[in-house]
Amino acid sequence: MTADATTVRRGSARLEGFGWRPLGRRVPVVRDLDLTVEPGERVLLAGPSGAGKSTVLRALAGVLGSAGSGDAYGEVHVAGRIGLLMQNPADAVVAERIGRDVAFGLENAGVAREEIWRRVRLALEAVRLPYAVDHPTAALSGGEQQRLALAGVLASDADLLLLDEPTSMLDAPNADGVRRCVLEAVARTGATLVVVEHRIGPWLSHVDRVVVLDADGVVVRDTDPVTFAADPVALAEQGVWMPGVAAPVPLEPPAGLVAPSGGGVPVVAEALHVDLRRSSMRGTTVTPALRGVDVELVPGALTVLTGPSGAGKSTLVAALAGLVAPTSGIVSGLGGGRAPHRMRSRDLARRVGWVPQNPEHGFVTTHARDEVAATGARTGVTVDAAAVLAHLGLGDHAAANPYRLSGGEQRRLATAAALAHRPPVLLLDEPTVGQDRLTWAAVVGWVRAAADAGAAVGIATHDPDLVALADRVVALQAGEVLR
Amino acid sequence: MRRLVVDANPLVLLLVGFAAVVASLAVRDLRTGVIALTAYAVAGAVLLPSLRFALLRFVAVGVASVSVVWSTWLLGGHDAELALTAGLRIVVLALPGAVLAAFLDPSRLADQMGQRLHVPARFVVAFAAALQRFSALREVWVQLDRARRARGFGPTRNPVSLARHGGALAFAMLVAALRDAGRMSAAMDARGFADARTRTWAEPAPWTRADSGLLALGLFLALVPWLVR
Repeated sequence: MTADATTVRRGSARLEGFGWRPLGRRVPVVRDLDLTVEPGERVLLAGPSGAGKSTVLRALAGVLGSAGSGDAYGEVHVAGRIGLLMQNPADAVVAERIGRDVAFGLENAGVAREEIWRRVRLALEAVRLPYAVDHPTAALSGGEQQRLALAGVLASDADLLLLDEPTSMLDAPNADGVRRCVLEAVARTGATLVVVEHRIGPWLSHVDRVVVLDADGVVVRDTDPVTFAADPVALAEQGVWMPGVAAPVPLEPPAGLVAPSGGGVPVVAEALHVDLRRSSMRGTTVTPALRGVDVELVPGALTVLTGPSGAGKSTLVAALAGLVAPTSGIVSGLGGGRAPHRMRSRDLARRVGWVPQNPEHGFVTTHARDEVAATGARTGVTVDAAAVLAHLGLGDHAAANPYRLSGGEQRRLATAAALAHRPPVLLLDEPTVGQDRLTWAAVVGWVRAAADAGAAVGIATHDPDLVALADRVVALQAGEVLR
Repeated sequence: MRRLVVDANPLVLLLVGFAAVVASLAVRDLRTGVIALTAYAVAGAVLLPSLRFALLRFVAVGVASVSVVWSTWLLGGHDAELALTAGLRIVVLALPGAVLAAFLDPSRLADQMGQRLHVPARFVVAFAAALQRFSALREVWVQLDRARRARGFGPTRNPVSLARHGGALAFAMLVAALRDAGRMSAAMDARGFADARTRTWAEPAPWTRADSGLLALGLFLALVPWLVR
């Protein structure tokens, strides 16, 4: 592992025979990878979930070991300053005021104070963040946080921009905004760009080169975007989201895996208000998240909740699942003669399958197999863990530690863990983030089949392909249902 | 006046908090204890922007204090005054620091520690970044609690079950915090933190007259129980 400036030119990167095996995994995520990126080149790195795309980016950024241990081999040569944007922009926030956050890289580089603030202001302008430098980072939306991270990268004059699914967690307008800012910055500075993304369509016309890794982390395509797009079907079959190819057909599991164990129940919210309180010594802020929402999840139907980030989708999903107490209004239907948020945990689990936005927060065991069986054991339902894992493309990872899986794999495992005991009500938060075409089809097929078998399904999402498969769409805006 | 604590130099807040330890040493009887606590309470009422959270902290410190009162009473020959004094001493010791800690701005604390006290920058900056994440832990706790409840791993009303649930959540939160720290350190290293040799500071570390005034007040408050003894 060396960063060598004499043999390679600024903004270039080279991997030779590179491989990486995370601690506790038998096979490497990436092996024998050779990849050279020239200065100023714009490279799109694609491939199925778990192919090792993020690993390659982390290797180039020189932070492989920082987020988890493992064995690396081969050589990595990178010349010039690195800028890394990660999937979850909240991970990159280091200060509580935006100016100070952007300044972080400049402080590390030993830049003088006046110059720091000049560059911070320019960078904030470049990413169109219209706030003063003492604006709190906690008050930014996901899209704004990602632009803040980009500002930090731009201020430090990065020669090599590495983007790890920078827009996957964002709604369409925010994703467009981030993409535009990145492309403007690259055009202005001439920096090298390596971007990893599942939904490659919007990037394709802006890159010079497309590199595709297969499920084993081997390069299967390395070509220009035009040649790449000329042969869409073969790659689509491998899981790559090729633009112009219709959304995959949901892959439905056998009905026995998903049919509600108790029969369908509806979930109804009436005049639902939820206020979120944030308290600190400096005062309490009360933000209304839901303001008089009426919604019904019907058994046998797939209902999607859409709307921009901050519209209240996640709060509504959690409230319907009995995990948030209504400030006023009623959630009913889960049975037991109690409001859902007062139900006993086991009774609630029997009725509801819920997946948190961050899949890691849901894990309660140390093996994928046990994770899938856990809630079934708790609620007295027999679960065929092997069949569930196989359907979601996790068959090879049955013994793996949930924390050692890739982001997309973790999300599928969390979904499997929440749904394997066949609850009659499914409430999911962005289940398709980080999925390739094949795993997308498996996840969506699962919820579609569950709905067809009589479950009431509610999903918060900004994935248009998933919305297209829904029976009912509930659009939220600022905590209210749009009609 | 109410901005004084909010804008204060973080070092002053720390010093005033630690000075309370000195004050607590002088609490040898009920009278000095009550006077010391009253002095701090009056200062708090005048200087703090909101008393609600000071009272919440008081409850937290109060729990510790009550346990000391109880054990002192039990082991100290059932002497009520002795026990109450011991309890008061704990409140005087911990409350000022517990309240003021909430006003620490991590970046400004790092500025002061790095530029005024010349603590090594690497340590100071990592410390500030970690401190800045502290408030996010509450949200993690909420999410972990929800996830476990939805999966049938929530507690029943049984106190044993509640305690076990609390323990499991605390452990899960530790794991989540470590994972979070790993991702954050990757982000920081990618921004040149790992190989920063001569680091600069984006903001100065000023010491104002208000800071001196607040420090003097804090030291005076710490001396009150010594003076009335």
